[in-house]
Amino acid sequence: MANSSFEEKLNSDGFLVTTEIGPPKGADVSEMVHHVDLLKDKVDAINVTDHQSSVMRFPSLGGCLLVKEHGGEPIIQITCRDRNRLAIQADLLFAYSRGVTNVLCLTGDSIDVGDHKEAKPVFDLDSVQMLNMAREMESGRDMSGNELKGVPQFCLGASVHPEADFIEPQLVKFEKKVSAGAQFFQTQGIFDLESIRRFMQYASQFNVKILAGIIVLASARMARYMNENVPGIIISQAIIDELADVEKGKGLQKGIEIAARFIKTIREEHLCHGVHIMAVGNEAIVPDILEAAQPAGVRR
Amino acid sequence: MIVAEQKSVEEIRRVIAPYDTVLLLGCGTCVTVCGAGGEREVSFLSSALRVAQTKSSDAIHSLVEYTVKRQCDFEFLHVLVDRVKEVDAILSLGCGIGVQVVAERFSEIPVLPGVNTSFMGMTKEWGVWDERCAACGDCRLAETAGICPITRCTKGILNGPCAGTKNGKCEANKEMDCAWVLIYKRLEKLQELEKIRRYYPPRNFRVIPRPRRIVVKAGSEPGEDNG
Amino acid sequence: MPGNEPEIRSALADGTIENHRPRRIKGASDKHTLTPPCQAACPLHMEIGQYVDLVAQGKVLEALQVIRDGNPFPSICAYVCTHPCEDACRRNQVDKPIAIRALKRFAVEFGGDRMIQLEAETTHTEKVAVVGSGPAGLACAYYLRKLGYPVTVFEAYSELGGMLRVGIPQYRLPREVVDTEVQRLIHMGVEIKANTRIISLDLLLDMGYKAVFITVGAHQSIRMGIPGEDSPGVIDGATFLREVNLGLRPSLGEGVGIVGGGNVAMDAARAAVRLGANNVTVLYRRSGTEMPASPDEIEQASEEGVKTMFLVAPTKVKRENGRLSVTCVQMELGEMDAGGRRRPVPIEGSEFDMQFDTLITAIGQAPQLSEDFRLRIGRGSTIEIDPVTLTTSRTGVFAGGDAVTGPATVTQALASGRQAASRIDDYLRHRYPLASREAEESSLGELFPKTIEMIRRVERLEPPFLSPEARVKEFDAVELIYDWEAAVNEARRCLRCGMGAEILFQDKCATCLTCLRVCPYHVPYLDDGGTIQIPAEQCQACGICVAECPAKAIVLRKPYDRRHIEAELEHVLKSAAELKSKTLIVGFCCQYGLFGTGALASLWREGKAGIWIVPVLCVAKLEERHLLRAFEMGAEGVFIAGCGDQCSRENTAFWVLQRVDRTRRALSQIGLEPERLQTFNLRSAEEDVAEALDNFTQQIAGLCLASIVEQEVKS
Repeated sequence: MANSSFEEKLNSDGFLVTTEIGPPKGADVSEMVHHVDLLKDKVDAINVTDHQSSVMRFPSLGGCLLVKEHGGEPIIQITCRDRNRLAIQADLLFAYSRGVTNVLCLTGDSIDVGDHKEAKPVFDLDSVQMLNMAREMESGRDMSGNELKGVPQFCLGASVHPEADFIEPQLVKFEKKVSAGAQFFQTQGIFDLESIRRFMQYASQFNVKILAGIIVLASARMARYMNENVPGIIISQAIIDELADVEKGKGLQKGIEIAARFIKTIREEHLCHGVHIMAVGNEAIVPDILEAAQPAGVRR
Repeated sequence: MIVAEQKSVEEIRRVIAPYDTVLLLGCGTCVTVCGAGGEREVSFLSSALRVAQTKSSDAIHSLVEYTVKRQCDFEFLHVLVDRVKEVDAILSLGCGIGVQVVAERFSEIPVLPGVNTSFMGMTKEWGVWDERCAACGDCRLAETAGICPITRCTKGILNGPCAGTKNGKCEANKEMDCAWVLIYKRLEKLQELEKIRRYYPPRNFRVIPRPRRIVVKAGSEPGEDNG
Repeated sequence: MPGNEPEIRSALADGTIENHRPRRIKGASDKHTLTPPCQAACPLHMEIGQYVDLVAQGKVLEALQVIRDGNPFPSICAYVCTHPCEDACRRNQVDKPIAIRALKRFAVEFGGDRMIQLEAETTHTEKVAVVGSGPAGLACAYYLRKLGYPVTVFEAYSELGGMLRVGIPQYRLPREVVDTEVQRLIHMGVEIKANTRIISLDLLLDMGYKAVFITVGAHQSIRMGIPGEDSPGVIDGATFLREVNLGLRPSLGEGVGIVGGGNVAMDAARAAVRLGANNVTVLYRRSGTEMPASPDEIEQASEEGVKTMFLVAPTKVKRENGRLSVTCVQMELGEMDAGGRRRPVPIEGSEFDMQFDTLITAIGQAPQLSEDFRLRIGRGSTIEIDPVTLTTSRTGVFAGGDAVTGPATVTQALASGRQAASRIDDYLRHRYPLASREAEESSLGELFPKTIEMIRRVERLEPPFLSPEARVKEFDAVELIYDWEAAVNEARRCLRCGMGAEILFQDKCATCLTCLRVCPYHVPYLDDGGTIQIPAEQCQACGICVAECPAKAIVLRKPYDRRHIEAELEHVLKSAAELKSKTLIVGFCCQYGLFGTGALASLWREGKAGIWIVPVLCVAKLEERHLLRAFEMGAEGVFIAGCGDQCSRENTAFWVLQRVDRTRRALSQIGLEPERLQTFNLRSAEEDVAEALDNFTQQIAGLCLASIVEQEVKS
């Protein structure tokens, strides 16, 4: 029994496409709403990021409500960085009550990379513990074992990092997340298809869905910057060179091309179960990527 | 041991500004070892403050120097009784514990901190100290091959690593090793990798409520006389 | 090494710390500085470490003072002492020993020893007679005179000095040197009676002398005991040298043979060369390693053309056709004798003949005593004495020098004379002799390999010598004197044994291991009980751990070293305040090496306005509080000038820079520009210090002006 339309699609064999939108740094949600409208019918679900890179923003939960209001399928991202176990359990209850049942459980980037470097990092839980906790709630109890009045149900996901330079501990973590109840995984940005192939050789033994993360790069400089500063991103020199080769102003075009190329290959070769497109800051071009990634088409 | 760093001379000047005669009190144990508050540092600080006084138009303080063996035990402070009568304030270069014990003992005058107590750690080499213990009260080093994830992992998570590790280093500080990579490798060496495959439930953040107290003496109620 | 960070020892990373158990130094706590081996080996126990250090600082006058405190005739020792101190010098374990004797010569010459006049008062009535004017006799006279006794020295020959005069050739000890000392004694009031041979002690005692010191030396050559020994052309070495030294030039012919292997044999050989003999051969019955002559002598003799044949001894001499035919036999070394040397044994049938014009015997000397003295005589015809009181078998009659020991060194004779003066004083004042400092032993053992490893090898600088060609022409002094640069640099090689650091306040020590980690020589270690030990015998006295110890538990053993910077600084600050120097700049300058005497010396002399120099004994001892104190007392600028990588100790520049960095940070927190503190020459030897200092002075003046303007603007 699926808890959401997204979960339904998860349980089917179709190629999944999700994307994410980043909320504004402020109370003006007009642009975010515009992106929701733009994308809601083109993808299977939309993640709303949660203080991505530890930069304070309009909350994921609020963004998911807006997605829901406008007819889209939201995936809420909850990190362990900013909330303790009481707050997370409360948010989960609230999300469920408003029909937001797809949850991506993340540990969260460290405070130091963000714009409020003096804030107190919470990390009361980590992602594995959060998954466990959510499943616990589904069985009618809170973390302390108290009975819940009104029991939530979720479709739970987590992240994984197939391109990590030292892969073994990441696989240990992946397995723990699967045991803890994750149903789907959105990976960190993939820039080398070989790594997803290798990863899938190992991951296909588990009954979970893997969506390869596709990051849209706009320039060589952006690629280099992300390499240096964004946690979990490793972009190969080949890609950087490809971006560097184009003339000024055509960087984004190139980025779209690269992304579409990845998506096509993944779909055609059935490398994994789908893709998760990350064009944060450039949400408007996601339809172009999808367009370019045809022929099989993902339009509903 | 406890590692501290001396506060800047300007901060100390601000803090002692209202007082005429100040006792600069060093401590001969932890802060001596980490070079922040021993007799040598008391002497250095005294010299620096005196230079500051000659160069500024601020009121002149009279500075007294003394270093006790330890500040965290009352008995070591008896020797100060007469000296304290002659001063208006004490600037303690001891760790936070020392400052508070001295303040409790000599509650009639202000006792001010001269160092920032930073962490419990080890000496890596001369002049370099690394944090090693957070005093979490629930030591789990048995599970992590003797490497503490609470202090050495920036996020302090128990089921690590996170995705932010690159080249074995932490996303927050590229010079710091990722603790979980270290833990994995050492467990591998010890052939105890199943320890990292276990699920570790959320931490008990309060073994007992703060301020914490440990009682070894039999027959006394905890919570008595917490003043 | 410039530019390189020193390896700061990590106790953990090293992993190979041995837990040593060196001998605990007896009484180390009650006597801080330990007797260095050089001082212990010196028969006079001179404070060698002290004066070498003073030479290293360029303080020649003070060095000479220390020397004169311990030695009555430093000018003589400077020429001919056999330097047991150099043999005991621990630098031997690293490379070559310090050239102590040559440094003493330098101090004597450049310190103006010749100019020093001595005075003495007569405070006692008891007259003392000294029989023999050799080194022991002269020393005894000197010390007795200083104690206030009327002293008469009796000398059988016309010339004074004993072996100094008739034994040691002039190219080793010029006669003016001995004459100067004798004149000084006369000026002090010592009565000299030359050409007076004492035959009867009773006569002396009748003359009213209350005590007599017999020190007639050992001038009687020992006979070889072979047939033909009395043939014309065979002369004994002592007589030969006496004649040469008295100005006679005996004709020796071309071929000269010397029998013997001691210094007398060498002296005779080298004198023969100077008298024109072209073919001089020394015949020694043992091998080269057993030869008692000093290695310097042997080397110089060889340079001058003297040949040596080992393991040969003459058995017969015959005069034939105006020449001597000497039959010699080869020897081999057999059993050990009582003296610890292997006895030479003739090899049957190995006789051979050698032809000489002159044969000189120098196989040993013995004292020649009048029977009327009625003293108990011992082995080798020497006088027997009580080892504590130094009295002979007759009350009031003392003896010392070669007459008691047999042929020995000049310095030993001086020590004997000094001791005798003490004993005679005790005797005349009816005191039992106190245990003297004569029995000083060095408790410093050997350097550890890991310490030796870290000591930079520096070649020993020898004083210049006349070339062998120049030497053999005349009897001029062979050895010349160091120049300043060489002397100072040679003195800096000293390891400062026993003057190093110790943990004085064990209760303050927090065992933080800083000293262990910062020591460039790996000296401090953790013993089995977890206590830090700083073994005195390994410490190189650099002072780094003293300054770095966070608990201030470590001090240098020499009390002067401990507070010298504070004392000098306070003195300078006080003087500067009194003279109201404008724009006061304080410079901490190393005293050692060329620094103290060279580059900055000129600055001191010029007395540049406002610059006050605080001399420090190595900048490694400078701490932040010294620098801050200068600022506190009104200095506008402070500089540190050190020897850089010429420093005789390792890593010193690195530590100074650490402290300078810290002080600069404190200065900027106080509102003073960090540029007010500068260092010179700490890294580069090529830096033109005078120019850099000029720039610095201008910069400080600029900063002062700026701050005055700022003040004006504010108000």
